[in-house]
Amino acid sequence: MADDNGSNLAQFKAGLLSDNPVLVQLLGMCPALAVTNSLENALVMGGAATFVVVMSNLITSVLRNLIKPHVRILIFTLTIATFVTLADLFLKAYMFEVSKKLGAFIPLIIVNCMIICRAEVVAIKSGVARSLADAFGIGIGFTLALSIMGCVRELLGSGSLLNIPLFSKEFVDVHAWVIMVLPPGAFLTLGAIIGVVNHLRDRKSGGGA
Amino acid sequence: MEFGVLIGIFISVALVNNLVLSGFLGICPFLGVSRKVDMAFGMGCAVTFVITVSGVVTWLIVHAVLTPVGAAMGDPGALYFLKYVAFIMVIASMVQLVEMYLKKFFPPLYEAFGVFLPLITTNCAILGACLYIDMKPETQSLLNAAVYAFGGGIGFMMAITIMAGIREHISFSDVPKPLRGAGITLLVASILALAFMGFTGMGK
Repeated sequence: MADDNGSNLAQFKAGLLSDNPVLVQLLGMCPALAVTNSLENALVMGGAATFVVVMSNLITSVLRNLIKPHVRILIFTLTIATFVTLADLFLKAYMFEVSKKLGAFIPLIIVNCMIICRAEVVAIKSGVARSLADAFGIGIGFTLALSIMGCVRELLGSGSLLNIPLFSKEFVDVHAWVIMVLPPGAFLTLGAIIGVVNHLRDRKSGGGA
Repeated sequence: MEFGVLIGIFISVALVNNLVLSGFLGICPFLGVSRKVDMAFGMGCAVTFVITVSGVVTWLIVHAVLTPVGAAMGDPGALYFLKYVAFIMVIASMVQLVEMYLKKFFPPLYEAFGVFLPLITTNCAILGACLYIDMKPETQSLLNAAVYAFGGGIGFMMAITIMAGIREHISFSDVPKPLRGAGITLLVASILALAFMGFTGMGK
């Protein structure tokens, strides 16, 4: 593999911003909507998904010459399911409260299209270093997008960040937008953020042309 | 009395806790295949079918395979770590089976579903419904589990068809450029979710 550090770094950076899985590629939307009612949940979910995408890219990349093309999707899914089980057991053992809040969305990382997409697009045809760089970029980009949503929703919906109250209780009781931590707020926040991201991209490409 | 419980489960999963609009499951097809009403309806039917079959089969896997084998090894929960791997394999093979069956016996239906069938494997509404069936106390009998899965499918079909109806109208209106596509769809979904919140308190 003729990977040099420059291209690995570029691959890492692409996942963070210009190819951000949630905000640009619109992959992995279900957890982005479901678990972002507080920043804490968003960070844990991001961490778990990053672990799974890194391990699945690593295994896929190591085995890429052994995997037969027609069974590759099955292999990807089983690899991902294995690491999701690991992550789930880890969270249940060490972060039980958060794991209870995330509920079914930890096992649902298995069908997160972002992870299969990285295995199919990058890991199956690239070396280990490049696959890892890509996985870290995508994983951290995913965490970043979830954290932005978590910040907005927790701040507006319950007036706190990371469960630390930022306003007095009387103020929150009167002015908090409870709707932001409920399902409609999730759709609203993600729609608005995608709108802002598209606007910024249009302006950037318009200015460059 | 038993019948009343079943209706309660159905209403709860189809309306009150709609998989798409309050459970955030199956968002990808909800955004991707909701441009035309007939396509959305086809997708909804396919999902309802697969979700019902997989719900029943995964229930059987947990209660007729993993638990007894685990119990034979000394602890009924001994094999539960295999659940996720087993579930995803069941769903993937169910989709494959359904596809082959339809192709052989109902070619027109197969033509109508087209590319949606293979896509359903990665529809998180299916795995989500199976996981919820496994977690919830009220779906511990096979009949309840089947009704829950069927209701989930109907709820999905309803949400995606309503969305498609709205989007057909939106395509004639002047949406601000950055919001075109996913943006406006999510904003509409937000209002739809608000409407479905009106069902809160019905059933259980």
